[in-house]
Amino acid sequence: MKPAVWLLPALVAASLLALFAACLLGSTPMSPERVLAAFFGAGDAGDRLVIWQIRLPRALAAYMVGASLGISGAALQGLLRNPLAEPGVLGVSATASLAATFSLYYGLVALSPWILPLSAILGALAATGLITLAAIRTRSVVTLILIGVGLSSFAGAAMSLLMNLAPNPFSLADMINWMLGSVANRSFREIGLAAPFILVGAAILLASRRGLSALTLGEEAASGVGLNLRTQRILTVLGAGLATGGSVALAGAIGFVGIVAPHVIRPFVGHDPARSLVPSALFAGLILVLADIGVRIIPTSNELKLGVVAALIGAPAFVWIAIQRRTGND
Amino acid sequence: MTDLTVTNLTVKAGRTTLVEGAGFSLVPGELVALLGPNGAGKTSLLRAALGLEKRDAGTATLNGDDCARLSPMERARRVAYLPQQRPLAWPNAVRDVVALGRYAYGAAPGRLSQPDADAVDRAMETCDLAALAHRSADTLSGGELARVHCARAFAAEAPLLVADEPVAALDPRHQFRIMDIIQSYVARGGGALVVLHDISLAARYASRLIWMKDGCIVADGPPTETLTAERLAEIYGVRARVHGTLVHIEGAA
Repeated sequence: MKPAVWLLPALVAASLLALFAACLLGSTPMSPERVLAAFFGAGDAGDRLVIWQIRLPRALAAYMVGASLGISGAALQGLLRNPLAEPGVLGVSATASLAATFSLYYGLVALSPWILPLSAILGALAATGLITLAAIRTRSVVTLILIGVGLSSFAGAAMSLLMNLAPNPFSLADMINWMLGSVANRSFREIGLAAPFILVGAAILLASRRGLSALTLGEEAASGVGLNLRTQRILTVLGAGLATGGSVALAGAIGFVGIVAPHVIRPFVGHDPARSLVPSALFAGLILVLADIGVRIIPTSNELKLGVVAALIGAPAFVWIAIQRRTGND
Repeated sequence: MTDLTVTNLTVKAGRTTLVEGAGFSLVPGELVALLGPNGAGKTSLLRAALGLEKRDAGTATLNGDDCARLSPMERARRVAYLPQQRPLAWPNAVRDVVALGRYAYGAAPGRLSQPDADAVDRAMETCDLAALAHRSADTLSGGELARVHCARAFAAEAPLLVADEPVAALDPRHQFRIMDIIQSYVARGGGALVVLHDISLAARYASRLIWMKDGCIVADGPPTETLTAERLAEIYGVRARVHGTLVHIEGAA
């Protein structure tokens, strides 16, 4: 199948539309004219506040989180040669969010605003590094996913422990936010703290994406055609760790987007992992912005958490993809 | 002229010696078959010769440069390697798989320069894959897939080819087809080192046979000199009759 030329323009257009829609919709619906006016600094002050302080940063945060999970998922799938690899499934998001919670719990975040993103990234890198070490030892991807399940469970248990010991209901609520994943009340300041890591991670993944295509042949033949396996592993792990860590710093653990987006995109790019990175990022961003709009406009007494909605849609998709897989190449 | 030269090569895994003191050379214009029973150390010898596996002693050079120190890309431009295990992770189109053979030239599927695209087309032509170019690789038969992997290796247009059991699990007709393709590559000036288990096939196509047993090379020479009933008994433990390059194996010795 020929890679579709319309794919990228269509995704970019849909993403812009979704971001615009996210500014339109909400508890006080605003007309497109009012939103546009507020965008360009005109209109009334209340509108500008809603758009620039609340809706736009929130929508952008959702988009960035989705995009970094989408690109990390697509890259990890290429590296491990398995469509089920993803930061959430491999326990990377959970470990990152544990590290972030840890720094919150012990008040380390008071030292510098960079502590939170940095600890999320350290957690993410530790988990991706562990998974890759295991990937060198074993060729079975099932083993890797089981290790991911183990990491997730451990991080979950440690989070529960921290919650158990939480000194007051406020810090408890904070931790729950982190565990469930949400982009509510995000500001441009928080986006600015996570963005450098996400951008550097994405740049590393994009720069090293050609090797992911070579890995289609398996590691042995990939080194035969000229791939430096060690460097490729390090770059993909580093890139995915930075991007996932940055996304967790922004929104907590949000699972399954990194599986669903590349899975949908792959047939349109000739099943080439390298060419799936950018479209997967755009599509995953689009999914999360739409899901976040849903979270905001579904009338519930307590606002739903984005991570919960993502998992409600994503987990069945994960099971479906797993069932579709023909056994044999692992 | 590119040559692969191995001297006194030893490979160990823990305390087991996989290859001991092996030496051979490969130059363009010859088709060499590497023969030996399972576990003789053929694959380890090839991998260590290419610098893909750590060697414990000896040298392995391509044009005088140490294989283990060449960058993977530089090595890939001098010798194409077709490993024994040939998994394909994704159902790519056949032409995209073949295009991966151009990796060492900076190419990627969907991003081929004109010289890359031409090399891919020539490799597809050689392996008779033009009609399958846009087929998804997971819909191919074993024989077709073997040709795809060959084309992938040829797409690099490297002066040397090292192929580990390229005809394993193929029916006789496809075995001949693959060997014909390799022979035509050698006729065009390439040099090929091929691991084979079919002694008749090896005797028919190869200009030289390298015989391996228990990690050591025990003989290296043209079929007419090295292919004897005694050697088959020694290496494989079989009773056989040999007439020139015709081999008739009668059973286990």
